Amino acid sequence: MLEIVDLAKRYGSVVALDGASFTATPGRIVGFLGPNGAGKTTTMRCIFGLATPDRGDVRWGGKTVDRDARLRFGYMPEQRGLYPRMRVGEQLSYFAQQHGMSGKAADAATARWLERMGLGDRVKSKLEELSHGNQQRVQLATALVHDPELLVLDEPFSGLDPIGITTMTEVIRERSAAGVGVVFSSHQLDLVEDVCEDVVIIARGRIVASGGIDELKTASGRQHLEVEVVGANGSWLAARPDLTVIERDGDSVKLLVDRDVDLDALLALAKSAGTVRRFAYQPPKLSELFMEAVAPATETTPAATAGVAA
Amino acid sequence: MSRWRSIRLVARREILERGRSRGFILSVLFTTLIVVGSFVLPAIVFGGPDVAKIGLVEPAPPSLETTITTIATGADRQIEFHQYPSLEAARTALHDDQVEAVIDVPADLTGPGQVIYKAETDQFLQSIVGSAVVALRSKDLLSSVDPAALAAAQTPPAAVALDPQSDADKARFLFANIGAVLVLVGIFSFGYTVLTGVVEEKQSRVVEVVLSTVRPRDLLMGKVLGIGVLGLFQLAVFLIAALIAARVTDRFVLPETTPTAVLMLGVWFILGYTLYSTALGFLGALASRMEEASNASTPVTMIAMLSYFVAIFAVLNDPDGTVATIATFIPPMAPFVVPLRAAFDAIPPWQLALSIGLTVAFIYVLFAIGARVYAGAVLQTAGRIKLRDAWRSAGK
Repeated sequence: MLEIVDLAKRYGSVVALDGASFTATPGRIVGFLGPNGAGKTTTMRCIFGLATPDRGDVRWGGKTVDRDARLRFGYMPEQRGLYPRMRVGEQLSYFAQQHGMSGKAADAATARWLERMGLGDRVKSKLEELSHGNQQRVQLATALVHDPELLVLDEPFSGLDPIGITTMTEVIRERSAAGVGVVFSSHQLDLVEDVCEDVVIIARGRIVASGGIDELKTASGRQHLEVEVVGANGSWLAARPDLTVIERDGDSVKLLVDRDVDLDALLALAKSAGTVRRFAYQPPKLSELFMEAVAPATETTPAATAGVAA
Repeated sequence: MSRWRSIRLVARREILERGRSRGFILSVLFTTLIVVGSFVLPAIVFGGPDVAKIGLVEPAPPSLETTITTIATGADRQIEFHQYPSLEAARTALHDDQVEAVIDVPADLTGPGQVIYKAETDQFLQSIVGSAVVALRSKDLLSSVDPAALAAAQTPPAAVALDPQSDADKARFLFANIGAVLVLVGIFSFGYTVLTGVVEEKQSRVVEVVLSTVRPRDLLMGKVLGIGVLGLFQLAVFLIAALIAARVTDRFVLPETTPTAVLMLGVWFILGYTLYSTALGFLGALASRMEEASNASTPVTMIAMLSYFVAIFAVLNDPDGTVATIATFIPPMAPFVVPLRAAFDAIPPWQLALSIGLTVAFIYVLFAIGARVYAGAVLQTAGRIKLRDAWRSAGK
């Protein structure tokens, strides 16, 4: 298990991390979310010793991560980059050996991964001769070639075409199923919702939400309720001015409700206005969870609204 | 995994990637060509044939050949004679370049005779032949005189140099100069390869992937080491080509001190390269673009040039003077100064040992500082980083 414990890091007057803590369990894919500048890349750099935290600890398997532990990690930085004039095969083999593999094992793993990425015939090509998409594949292979126990990918989907996204998703799922810890950051929340079991949301250097996506959704104070009452034109809502209306389309309304909301009372109210054709209680989307979590504390918190509703 | 393996992998990558590059191969070939050319070309242009071919119109005075040969040998010239039955035949041979000159002197030494050249007269050959003919005539005239006394009378004064410069001295001077240039060129071409390499890794962002497993100081060390191996290889090719060319063309006699001089050159090339490339390597890390890198490296370039000029102007004139002695103990200057002094045998062993010790210690300290600055700067890609900021940022 990867444990991030109370990481803090300042760059001059800029606070990059302000006591961030979370865990990532192998077998559960973790999406690491946050607005730009929230501290995602700094956290990842701390995992790899590329940034030294002012405070806090990174642990793997209960022990503080050292260089030997990092040899069993795979990293794909946000700023992609490999040696442009080095041959693809030699490049991968070089990185595999830097992770402690013997020359022979490194060559074998290189051949296997290039084949897997559909680049089996490009072993001898220089990296710069490859298309942008294929260079991205090599970059991913660089993070994977030494068969790491933990995979940390910074924005792995950025700049990928749909085929590339599919390959990336497959590889991430397959590695996770093989017991590898996977943490990746992304701004594509639909993709994260699709791929990840867990999410960690960071804002202003602090973790503002973490846990299983389903649990977070269930626990959210912003559940959705869609109600359609035939011919009522939403008039029944007048009795409940405390409810937040997200969308109103004729007879159909979409409401934001607290998870403790008294559904029976609402259903009764709707029924009194006419025939209820639709009454759907739905968890929020990940993007809504995200917006809720990263919203600055000065805005009206959903909890306040929910309190009145209950 | 051991740090040494990591360093070795970095060095190996540098050697393979750069050693196979067209640029490096061409530069080795080019320098070798220049070295060999600089020996062979003068031999072709100025060396001329070692043996002068001379036509002799028969009948010639009987002992003319022997006399000319004797005088020529004394003057370090070899002469090969070709006999011709008539003046016409000899002229034809001269015209066809079979001989360089034709001697036509009556067998009984009556009349002045003549030495015929094709286009230009050869003063040296002329004086040899002239002396021979005059000597033969005098011998006939003075047949009654005691031969020993005659020989004594004909002995020219000896040439004496107050402070004779031997071939070995000339070779030493040449060695010293070539050595200083080689160290300078080595530092500039290979030290700057380290600098460019560091900036390229930063620019292509690959450094973040590399540093997720390799320690910054190991990366810097591997880089310096790998590129240094290439530098040493080029130096070796250069020296071997020069030694072989010198041998084959027989341009100058290699002094007995050659092996020591070559060893000195090798040692100081390594020390000088390591010192300067370490400095250039971590200064390169402070830059984000090549233009910034050349600015950042300016102080180092200035120090290298200054040291070179101190060596060439001050030390070459007075290899065991005060300036030379002081410069010996200033590590950035030592790689230029010490090989020069050693080539002239003008450095006591204790000074040599102390100088090597000081330079090694200096490199050690420089590397420790440089590695920290490098670690602090190499991941910052926004503009030019201040030395102090880089030092602080890696301090924690």
